[in-house]
Amino acid sequence: MKLPNARILRPISGCAALAILLVAVFTVAGRAEHTGGGLPAKIAYCKDCHGPSAQGFLGYYPIPRLAGQQPEYLANQLRAFIEHRRTNNIMFNVAHSLSPSMISGLAANFRALNPPPLGGSPRRLAEEGKRIFQDGMPDANIAACAACHGPQATGAGIIPRLAGQVYPYVIKELVNWGKERGQNPAIRDTSYIMSPVAHSLSRSQIEAVAAYVSSLR
Amino acid sequence: MKADGVKLAVLSGLLALGCAAAVRSYAATPADTVSQRDVAAKLAYCEVCHGVEAQGFRGYYPIPRLAGQPTDYLKNQLQAFVERRRTNNIMFNVGHVLSPAMITALIDDFHKLNPKPLGGAPQDIVPAGKKIFGEGLPDVKVPACATCHGPEGKGNGPFPRLAGQLYDYVVAKLTNWDKERGQDPGKPDTSAIMQPIAHNLSQSQIKAVAAYVSTLE
Repeated sequence: MKLPNARILRPISGCAALAILLVAVFTVAGRAEHTGGGLPAKIAYCKDCHGPSAQGFLGYYPIPRLAGQQPEYLANQLRAFIEHRRTNNIMFNVAHSLSPSMISGLAANFRALNPPPLGGSPRRLAEEGKRIFQDGMPDANIAACAACHGPQATGAGIIPRLAGQVYPYVIKELVNWGKERGQNPAIRDTSYIMSPVAHSLSRSQIEAVAAYVSSLR
Repeated sequence: MKADGVKLAVLSGLLALGCAAAVRSYAATPADTVSQRDVAAKLAYCEVCHGVEAQGFRGYYPIPRLAGQPTDYLKNQLQAFVERRRTNNIMFNVGHVLSPAMITALIDDFHKLNPKPLGGAPQDIVPAGKKIFGEGLPDVKVPACATCHGPEGKGNGPFPRLAGQLYDYVVAKLTNWDKERGQDPGKPDTSAIMQPIAHNLSQSQIKAVAAYVSTLE
């Protein structure tokens, strides 16, 4: 069968080839941005949701402060999203494209930031929250938060900084602990440590602790 | 008359039985007993900070292993926190709500536990630590640790078990001995025994001994 309009097809093929070439060029350029040279771009992308200094942000959800966070904790959480140990579809999609070097670059960058807390918590609760945080509630078998998170709530290693964390975010995490963390039975992680603590705290105690830590610099 | 006498005798007998029963029920539930459930809840609370099976845990501070510890030592330390002989605000709060029966139940349980050491010590200094532990440092008046803590570091009575203790915890204790222990001049305690020894050890000797004992099972 004779091909009709072969002359017309030829220029079209040329355009297609050019288009493919252009797509390839842009893809390579895009990829370059997401490896070594792309750290600033990726940080800017994170800050779209986590706030201009990564101090946290109230979007539809409370979005956590990453500024000053322990790098080991950040890296562990990014892996937790990827491994479905921590359920969060948005953060799964964010995290699973990150290379190990990008993760360590991001974690080091956020660690170095030190903006003031976002604010917005009820101040009247902070005093009770301080007592629970520093002393625990031994009668109710609730450990002092300070034992692991530190007296200034700065965290250590895999244990997160809580100082300046967004008030409604802390509440959301403590209320939903067992539904959000440690969700992959095949990979046990350190989130189990907090399970009994989060479970034992009443709603008003959670609010008090959240108010206290959110006010710390 | 005779019938009255019998009645009286029966009544007296019943009264005596009643009293005996009352005394017995009092003896069975004295003020200081503790239920298995309360002990289990308290143990779970201890293990939030002291780790699974009380093998120790690294929170903001290194939190010591309690597993396998002699009961006398554990009891004395809990009292030391409460009496401010040993300064630790968190453990003061934990300790001062514990009833004697609860303390007995907890220390018996911890003594029976036998998990593996948590690990995390530099291995290259272990041989130097083994030598100090077994032979002491006669030139600087440091006796062999094994003299009191036992050849396997298992401790005895008021002398603590060191086997499997956290490396960084042992380093911190020996470095800060007289800032933390024996803090009530009115109540001198057995911590005075370790004071000159801790003082005479150099930092590198402390690290070596800590590395060695932390590896012992």
